[in-house]
Amino acid sequence: MAETTYRIQAPASLPVTTEFSPRALRMFLLLVLAGSAFVVSGLALDSPRIWPNLLLAGFYVVGIGLAAGFLVAVSYISNAGWLTAIRRVPEAMASNVYVGGLWMIMLLAGVHSLYEWSHTETVAADALLQKKEFWLNVPFFSVRTIAYAVLWSLFTYLLVHTSRLQDETGEVTLTLRNRAIAAVFTVVFTLTFWIASMDWIMSLEPHWYSTIFGIYNFSGTFTSGVAAVTVAVIALRRRGYLKEFVRDDHLHDLGKLLFAFSTFWMYIWFSQYLLIWYANIPEETAYFLKRETAGWGTFTILVLLFNWVIPFIALMPRSAKRSEGVLLRVSIVVLVGHWIDLFWMILPTFMPGSPSFSIWELGPIVLAAGLVCLVTVRSLTRARLIPVNDPMLLESLTYHS
Amino acid sequence: MSRRLFIAYFKDEQDIVEATKAAGAAGHEILDAYTPYAVHGLDKAMGLKPSRLPWVCLIFGLLGATAKLWFQVWTSAFNWPVNIGGKPLASIPAFVPVTFEITVLFAGLGTVGAFFLVSRLRPGRKPAVSYDRATNDRFVLVLVERDASFDLQKTTDLFKRHGCVKVEERLEAEE
Repeated sequence: MAETTYRIQAPASLPVTTEFSPRALRMFLLLVLAGSAFVVSGLALDSPRIWPNLLLAGFYVVGIGLAAGFLVAVSYISNAGWLTAIRRVPEAMASNVYVGGLWMIMLLAGVHSLYEWSHTETVAADALLQKKEFWLNVPFFSVRTIAYAVLWSLFTYLLVHTSRLQDETGEVTLTLRNRAIAAVFTVVFTLTFWIASMDWIMSLEPHWYSTIFGIYNFSGTFTSGVAAVTVAVIALRRRGYLKEFVRDDHLHDLGKLLFAFSTFWMYIWFSQYLLIWYANIPEETAYFLKRETAGWGTFTILVLLFNWVIPFIALMPRSAKRSEGVLLRVSIVVLVGHWIDLFWMILPTFMPGSPSFSIWELGPIVLAAGLVCLVTVRSLTRARLIPVNDPMLLESLTYHS
Repeated sequence: MSRRLFIAYFKDEQDIVEATKAAGAAGHEILDAYTPYAVHGLDKAMGLKPSRLPWVCLIFGLLGATAKLWFQVWTSAFNWPVNIGGKPLASIPAFVPVTFEITVLFAGLGTVGAFFLVSRLRPGRKPAVSYDRATNDRFVLVLVERDASFDLQKTTDLFKRHGCVKVEERLEAEE
């Protein structure tokens, strides 16, 4: 039998790098500036309200970056060939870890506005907080926050840098190297993200605890990350960039991931609820009691609707997962849903009674949205849109789902 | 009633996909394709309709969910009410895990059962047709010779152009 040599042939119209109109970049920059102005005025006028929203938005941004990086890492470990053609999109999105990490470090300035345990007089009057003081104290908390940001940034940089290096050298060993980096990253990420979500969000209510909180946050974060990647891929495809490479089969897989992880989120959400509801221990039920009463009860329904009910029903048919329009809409629903989910976790501490929405909620959203778009787009233009020398590229281009 | 079958053997999966497309375009009736493994794109080339199994799966899932939820409410709240931890008798959260499991069980077994039923697979069933090396290294395409207009030579030529290695004709008594 004759030897078959496979050669990866890039179509003649292959866009080497992505170029975005200066107008789009200006618009994103404008969003960032407008958001910053909002935030600065918010800090001056209504700082107790703006701090929790800044925490929400910062966690959202760093989460999008981490989820994208995790998607890349998992594709390396599991040899997931289908992702290769679109891998540059999550790679670019992973850059949000840098800005998100910086955001979380800057948030340390508001530690006294956010965390009850950071006040010495509160701790002095509270036996339980005294027992938790070895972990929940400002210096150690700050060190941990910085450590998370540095660790995540380091791994993100290594993953993306190695992948981009392969474009130039074409060495297969770089794939193997990235596989090793990815394996270490997944372990580091899972452990640190679990603790980070407890530090940053769970400790807002320092008397309450839930051991599933880390996985719960991972599931929501990863789902929103997949949604963000899907939106970006569809946006690029519509502009004609990935048209020849991303077929409905790739969208189908993104849709399947979105469907599966949205359901996984619901599974974890319910697991947390069921155990607390069943055991009915006051120090645990306090969390849900606060979120079941008055306006927060209605809000809880929104959380479930946006994060699971709508994606689950909408993405059930095969044709929906392969349709650009449906997938785009569902992804946006999930992205909004993740914000609602975080709002539901963070804000009840600061807004007892009922949720309310004002311009101080809007400011951090505008800033976060502008930053994510700007950072992702800028990072996309820094490398080839297709990893041309990746050994898995051929498999990805001829992929059938 | 019996029918004449035209059977073409291929060595390569790419060949059978192309040949199937060509046969469809030439207006032949494709009975089935037999391959050692699932060939990507062959279903599309054969012009198969999307499977109806997902619908069976959905219906069985809903059936399982409804039945189990009803059963739990009936047993715990009506037939033999037991107060557990002071919770309401019909406590839906407590019923969710089992409802979920039964949904999956019904959907899974129902889908497999429907598949066996439709493809008439049952224990002890004799293999209806067997094609040489179709489970090993040959890709087999079977056409139905519908009427007198079937041109053996022309069809053979068509397949030879697409890398066919062997053709044969069979008379098959219909089940």
